[in-house]
Amino acid sequence: MPARNGSVLFEQLALPLLPSLYSHAFWLSRNQEDAEDIVQETISKALRAFDSFQSGTNFRAWIFRILRNTFLTSRAAIATSRTVFMEDHVDLFDVSDPSPTPEDHLLRLDNHAALTEALERLHPQLREVLLLCEIEELKYKEIAVVLDIPIGTVMSRISRARRTLYAQLSQQVGSLL
Amino acid sequence: MIQDHQHLSYEEVSALVDGELIPRDAHDLEQHLASCHSCALSVISAMQLKSATKRAFKRFAPPPEVLTRFRARLLPETPKNPARVYTARSLIRGALAACLLLALSLLIRREVRQSSGLAAELLDQHLALLSSDSPPEVISSDRHTVKPWFDGKLPFSFNLPDAFPSGTTLKGGDLIFLDGHPAALLVFTVGRHQASVFLTQRSFAGTPSVARRTLSGFTIQYAKTQDLYLTVVSDGNPSDLALLVSALVAEQSPR
Repeated sequence: MPARNGSVLFEQLALPLLPSLYSHAFWLSRNQEDAEDIVQETISKALRAFDSFQSGTNFRAWIFRILRNTFLTSRAAIATSRTVFMEDHVDLFDVSDPSPTPEDHLLRLDNHAALTEALERLHPQLREVLLLCEIEELKYKEIAVVLDIPIGTVMSRISRARRTLYAQLSQQVGSLL
Repeated sequence: MIQDHQHLSYEEVSALVDGELIPRDAHDLEQHLASCHSCALSVISAMQLKSATKRAFKRFAPPPEVLTRFRARLLPETPKNPARVYTARSLIRGALAACLLLALSLLIRREVRQSSGLAAELLDQHLALLSSDSPPEVISSDRHTVKPWFDGKLPFSFNLPDAFPSGTTLKGGDLIFLDGHPAALLVFTVGRHQASVFLTQRSFAGTPSVARRTLSGFTIQYAKTQDLYLTVVSDGNPSDLALLVSALVAEQSPR
């Protein structure tokens, strides 16, 4: 595509996503300045690589993937020790099954503070997949593109993230009783 | 597909509440839910958790000035200065200065254009490798696999060292074309970063003379041997990249 047309198209596609990109960068880096740097660099990289973007494919997933790769190679990622691979640390994600009943779940979910704390305590990579699913409302296949993992792994990570939340909520509620 | 005597797995419950099941599977699961109180409660609680998680996750909005900077970044070529009124004298001075600048710039234009254009092209190649789903054509950390793959594809040859600097791993290679010239692309992992090494013939006139530059936050390092130009593009540590360049240059020396 001609450079000017490409630039205009890029702006049309990227402009509505700026708040989402910033929010996600903030969740990843947990720092306002780092989030801005990550988004700025993401825009720069995406603009340069826009010729490689295939028209008709998912721009949102494409640019979120660039954002994530930018974060992973940033100082912020090293500071938050995010560049470990989940599959290398399976033990981190083993969920001890407290065997709560479904009724227990329903009772605990109205505790907003407990859920917020559980989300904060969630391992960053499990929190990230939930963010993409719940906040950015990406489909599993889009999340697979962003995280560069098979769709089956996306499904198991989301499931594991929710089970971990349940387990943490159970522990929190249990400690209050 | 779920059987009547089975309960839904965690993954099935998650996929159901996320609307990720194909219609036929969703129909089967819903039929099961109609007759299984335990699974029905699990799905309801999963829907409650999904809804509560959405509420608990805070969306961070960029401050207005940050959003303005992002927008400006989207259109770097947009003129930022408002229109001004010029006098005839200032226009003449400006024209003379412009002529002088033009004369000076013509002297260095060709080299600058070639080097800038090439640097941008190399960076684009590197970014495309980072962001696309297409891996390099040959994927191997074994130099005896990667190097022979280029046989017959390039009008030149190169060597790869037995061992790379600590923390540097060969990932693969690919054949690319820079300004119409065939080049070898070698992909490395340097620490936590990916590095693209481009090998071209010295007769290829596009390679700049500077040893290192930065472009959009990426380091681009150049080196030359008797027959080849080496260019490394990465956002990794420049000193680590320099070690990789040195190792590659040393291996090209005649023995």
